[in-house]
Amino acid sequence: MGDNHERDVLVPVGRSETLRRTVTYAVERAHEAAVEAGGSATVHFVYPARWRSFETERANVDAAESLLERTLLWGEEDIDELLGEDTPATVAFESTVVGTNEYVFSPSDFADVIGRYADANGVGRIVVDPSFRPGGSAPLLRSFETELADRGFDVLEAPVTRETRRSLPLTDIGLAEFSVVFASSLLFYFALGGWHVTDPYELVTGVATAGVVTLTLAGVAMKNGVPAVREVGYTLLRFGAYVPILLWEIAKANVALAYVVLHPRLPIDPRVVEFDAAVWGDMPVTTLANSITLTPGTLTIDVSRQQFVVHALIPDAEDDLMEGTLERLVRFVFYGRESSRIPSPLERRDDDGGEA
Amino acid sequence: MTPLEYLAAALVVGGTFFGFVATVGLLRLPGLYARLHAASKSDTLGSVLAVAGVAVVLGVSTESLKLGFLLVFLLLTSPTAAHAIARSGKEQNVEPAGDVDAPWIDEEEGDA
Repeated sequence: MGDNHERDVLVPVGRSETLRRTVTYAVERAHEAAVEAGGSATVHFVYPARWRSFETERANVDAAESLLERTLLWGEEDIDELLGEDTPATVAFESTVVGTNEYVFSPSDFADVIGRYADANGVGRIVVDPSFRPGGSAPLLRSFETELADRGFDVLEAPVTRETRRSLPLTDIGLAEFSVVFASSLLFYFALGGWHVTDPYELVTGVATAGVVTLTLAGVAMKNGVPAVREVGYTLLRFGAYVPILLWEIAKANVALAYVVLHPRLPIDPRVVEFDAAVWGDMPVTTLANSITLTPGTLTIDVSRQQFVVHALIPDAEDDLMEGTLERLVRFVFYGRESSRIPSPLERRDDDGGEA
Repeated sequence: MTPLEYLAAALVVGGTFFGFVATVGLLRLPGLYARLHAASKSDTLGSVLAVAGVAVVLGVSTESLKLGFLLVFLLLTSPTAAHAIARSGKEQNVEPAGDVDAPWIDEEEGDA
């Protein structure tokens, strides 16, 4: 990968309190390496995107770009401070957004995306910000750092003191995240127990159970922070509208399947359909995948990021799928009416000049 | 019998019917993926209808709230379980029955 391999440094960038100091640390490391080798080094600031390239919402994209611009400025500042204004810089900077065409979900997905960029640019060292946890963190998940180290990179954790204000002692969980997950777990516990809120036994077991659930899972459940109440409210309302449609589709699916299964000649036409879904994010993809499985003649076999592999049992099933009705509904539930305008999978495939 | 009991009976009978369809489908359909259709769809609706029937009998109570949760979890978990089985089938290069192009089979041949 060239002789820069040892010198160049990659910094995964995301919103975090300690990003500023992480940049300084990365610049220092790159500078040291450059001086040692008597050349120059490059620091790559890489922003792993959580959105898809055709997403209508520009706010995320703008936020990413302005954050990357800021890291570039910070980098320049740091190198000036190290060398003085007049000395020619030993460290160059690059910034980019990666993963816009993929559905990145877990720490390992993020490590894949970052790792691919690093390999393409011959970067061997990655400086991670301990407060930046793409894909969330949980005791059950391997961390972003471990995933990167597994891919053969030299991973350095920036020695920044974490903000104690933001996360509760001994955890990665902020107070807001903790409260939301804890409260909903406790409510669920009481609902199952028949609302005996005053019973001390129920109270103690409920608090203990909710505590365990929160400590183990809040890092995943709230990995993007606590969502805005208004947003959640609208999503729930639209989801409420989606449920009857889904139930109707499920009923139709079952009548169709019952017909096929009980028909003496078993008139099936199985095939495998692949398509890229225009949904992104954990909940929407899960909802779509499960809805596909529950509706007429189709079964989700695999979802890898944006690509769905679907098994269709009944001849009409493939056409239904390509019309993208479900997909549009799922988009409506999670992103509101605007996003339903995105063309159907069939139209998108035609646009790509594919065989349709 | 009250109308509610008729409704409950109809739901349970419907649930039993779809449970029957799931069983017949599981036996008759060819191959892993086709059988999963029966196991995931009919089985879900069968259980959902039966549980809904019980909830109607119990009326508004903690028990029917629990059954409500049960319905939600059934609708969430059974497609997920089917997905897990189908996916592991794919990872193990299980071919779908019938004259079907399975993209993952071709890919694997290229790699090997």
